[in-house]
Amino acid sequence: MFTNLTKLDLKDKPCLSEAGSPKLCMRALPGEGAERSCAYDGARVVLMPITDVAHLVHGPIACAGNSWDNRGARSSGSQLFRRGLTTDIMENDVIYGGEKKLKAAILEIATRHDPKAIFVYATCVSSLIGDDVNKVCLEAEKELTIPVIPVNCPGFLGDKNIGNRIAGEVLFERVIGSGEVLQEKIPRSINLIGEYNIAGDIWGIIPDLNHLGITLQTAITGDAKFDDLRSAHRASLNVLICSKSLTNLVRKMEIQYGIPFIEGSFYGIHDTSETLVKIATALNDPDLLARTLVYVKKREDETRKVIAGYKKVLENKQAILFTGGVKTWSMVSTLAELGINILAGGTQNSTPEDFQRMKALMDPTAQIIEDTSSAGFLKIIAEKKPDLIVAGGKTKYLAHKTRTPFLDINHGRKLPYAGYDGMIQFAETLSRTVLSPVWGHLRREFPLKESEQDDS
Amino acid sequence: MTHSRHYQGNPQKNSPALGATLAYLGVNGLLALLHGSQGCSSFIRLQLSRHYKEPIPLNSTALLEDSVIFGGWEHLKKGISVAADKYKPQIIGVMSSGLTETYGDDMVSALASLRLERPDLNNMPVVLASTPDYIGSMQEGYQRTVEALVTTLAGHQIKTAGQFDAQSIANSNEDPALTIALLPGCHLTPGDVDELKELLMEFGFKPITVPDLSISLDGHAELEAAPVVQGGTLLEDFQRLPKCRACLSFGLSMEKAGDILKNTYQIPHFNFPSLTGLTATDTFILTLAKLSGRAVPERILRQRSRLLDTLADFHDRLGGLKIAVALEMDLLYSLASSLVEVGAEITVALAASQAGIHRLSLPISIEVGDLETLEERAGQSTLIIANSNGRQAAGLLKLPHLRAGLPVFDRAGYPQKRWIGYEGTQQFLFDTLNSVS
Repeated sequence: MFTNLTKLDLKDKPCLSEAGSPKLCMRALPGEGAERSCAYDGARVVLMPITDVAHLVHGPIACAGNSWDNRGARSSGSQLFRRGLTTDIMENDVIYGGEKKLKAAILEIATRHDPKAIFVYATCVSSLIGDDVNKVCLEAEKELTIPVIPVNCPGFLGDKNIGNRIAGEVLFERVIGSGEVLQEKIPRSINLIGEYNIAGDIWGIIPDLNHLGITLQTAITGDAKFDDLRSAHRASLNVLICSKSLTNLVRKMEIQYGIPFIEGSFYGIHDTSETLVKIATALNDPDLLARTLVYVKKREDETRKVIAGYKKVLENKQAILFTGGVKTWSMVSTLAELGINILAGGTQNSTPEDFQRMKALMDPTAQIIEDTSSAGFLKIIAEKKPDLIVAGGKTKYLAHKTRTPFLDINHGRKLPYAGYDGMIQFAETLSRTVLSPVWGHLRREFPLKESEQDDS
Repeated sequence: MTHSRHYQGNPQKNSPALGATLAYLGVNGLLALLHGSQGCSSFIRLQLSRHYKEPIPLNSTALLEDSVIFGGWEHLKKGISVAADKYKPQIIGVMSSGLTETYGDDMVSALASLRLERPDLNNMPVVLASTPDYIGSMQEGYQRTVEALVTTLAGHQIKTAGQFDAQSIANSNEDPALTIALLPGCHLTPGDVDELKELLMEFGFKPITVPDLSISLDGHAELEAAPVVQGGTLLEDFQRLPKCRACLSFGLSMEKAGDILKNTYQIPHFNFPSLTGLTATDTFILTLAKLSGRAVPERILRQRSRLLDTLADFHDRLGGLKIAVALEMDLLYSLASSLVEVGAEITVALAASQAGIHRLSLPISIEVGDLETLEERAGQSTLIIANSNGRQAAGLLKLPHLRAGLPVFDRAGYPQKRWIGYEGTQQFLFDTLNSVS
């Protein structure tokens, strides 16, 4: 009943360290303090932004209770995805098994919340007590008119990356192309893979796509509706935005549905333009490409004009970038656009390819942060004394203790940073952080030492 | 029981291991080690961090599939020794998880075995708290951990004399008749604990607070962020616990920890289920007066007098409140009973777990329930009091929502709130009234 790991193609997993790369994705040692997360977390990150379905966590309170509605993924419609739903496995369930409870919960949620589908997440404890989540989902589905989809992602399977891949498998096997959907391709339509609409990021991208006549079939899975996901196979192109861990999904979609894929990023002016041009090229429409080239030039000029003032503030500032996955390299170019030098960059959850790309973009003297624990973080701040830190929310309050300007770019943030408008937002927020008068107060001695008082 | 349902919808519960983390975060020099998979600790760090706006040091034994097959016993030993070597903490505090409790790792024998293999770690105190995710909520995890702390560390003999500094020697020469052990429950904020200590000092007492979040999670800039807890109860303070004049515990959940001190060291123990509200504070202040043999200080009487005046000024508005409350039990009881005594009506009272449900009572029955239940029942109320996750219910019902409990991530300054004592009660009533106006 555990997820069949061989089926997941983990053999070609991106965790083999390449020459020159640090050992990324290395197994965390007990007691080492690596501060990473688990496979369940990885699966929920990918699937939980699907807005009009119920996400039911079959586990004790630690899995759902501590984590529901805690990411910044936003919806333009249904808010059902934000509801924390869990079977809340209790002592008696551990002893007698939780299958009956799970089935009853699925049926009750179907009635109470009228979801388009129910995703059921297995966890460490439910797997350990031998609950057959697949079987229960199948049984429940027979009594309902909606799909009930098991996600076998107990935390002990490994890191977040593995959970991402499991989620990709689930989408491929159970969602995309399922149900009574049309098969023919929609011209000039794309899927954005690994875009979770954090803080409404996607709404900064869609207007540009629409202007060019490109249709967004669905994001996987930001602001995604279940029915749109089912028809994701009708898109003409997959654009992989974040999370190399969903490469398995785009590869399989290419084989099964003949959808080619490209990689891209919507963080920063350069990457946004490049991605739009790549999309137009891949869609094989000369007219679209011509229009796109003109359009991105215009948008770049507009955007650069607006951010010029911010750039003056930020130019030559020394930054430490402490983030993970694809964000490592996409952020490097965003910061470079603003004239910010990167002293060191972190690589949590990044693949060797992410790493190599980042390395290529960074100054050769820039350091790669290998120790991603709090201790490693503090050490690098103390060594480098940066002007600002750009990192995920996890390190936010730690960074504040170092009295260094800090910008949160991860899922906890409130402001969208994607696309051209996102770049403006990003530059504005970063300038506000750097210019804030509070850092001066934080660094001022008080009271002054007596000798200094005498001098004045 | 409300549970005709087989699921929790919008749970208000947090995991017991989160409560354990909180208790450990109030002990100076301690490294907290969660025996579980990496997600367990990751979610706790995120949840506590967005509540306190503080870095949360929490380590993990990072269990993977092989340990599920072969058991995590060796992982725990390895985790303790790696953490001890790498971070050199004064104390290691371990808590278990649903994963490790399900396959039954014996933490006691793992520690005993480690001590045989690593005699150099013999002087390192290791606290073991059993906090399976599937029993209780944050309050139970915190409770079990405070009990484990008191049991393991009270009277602890520090073996290396070098660790004594001048301050602790001075402390140990203090008159034990003035030293009082305080055991605050997890319903008290760092601000509350600070206030509590100040009240004790008004009577001339020297409090030892276990755990002491008021000097670790109070959000101060001087904190040198580190993998071990800074601030909080000192190991030397634990050593002095057996000689305390009395032990005062706060919240019914802390009663057992207080009884451990009472039964082991024959210290008088008084439990106060609540410190919010006029009568609850009266009881507490009278106990302090009696223990100290002093009259109630003028400043405190003045605070009481101000509270009385507030009650008179706002009695009509307070009497018109219909409040739906969903909180962990000790906080639920503290806040709700202080509202009941000023004439407000509690329309719904939902506790996160069973703990204390048969011993604490309100005019309406307290039931165990989630925030979906709150949403279903709070329709006729004028105010919701719940943690920030109650925002979905409040939004749907278009009701004002006073944030309390944990997590509170969308309001500034909750961990600094003081809602205990006469002044704190007055502030709580103001906050309540201002959230409905």
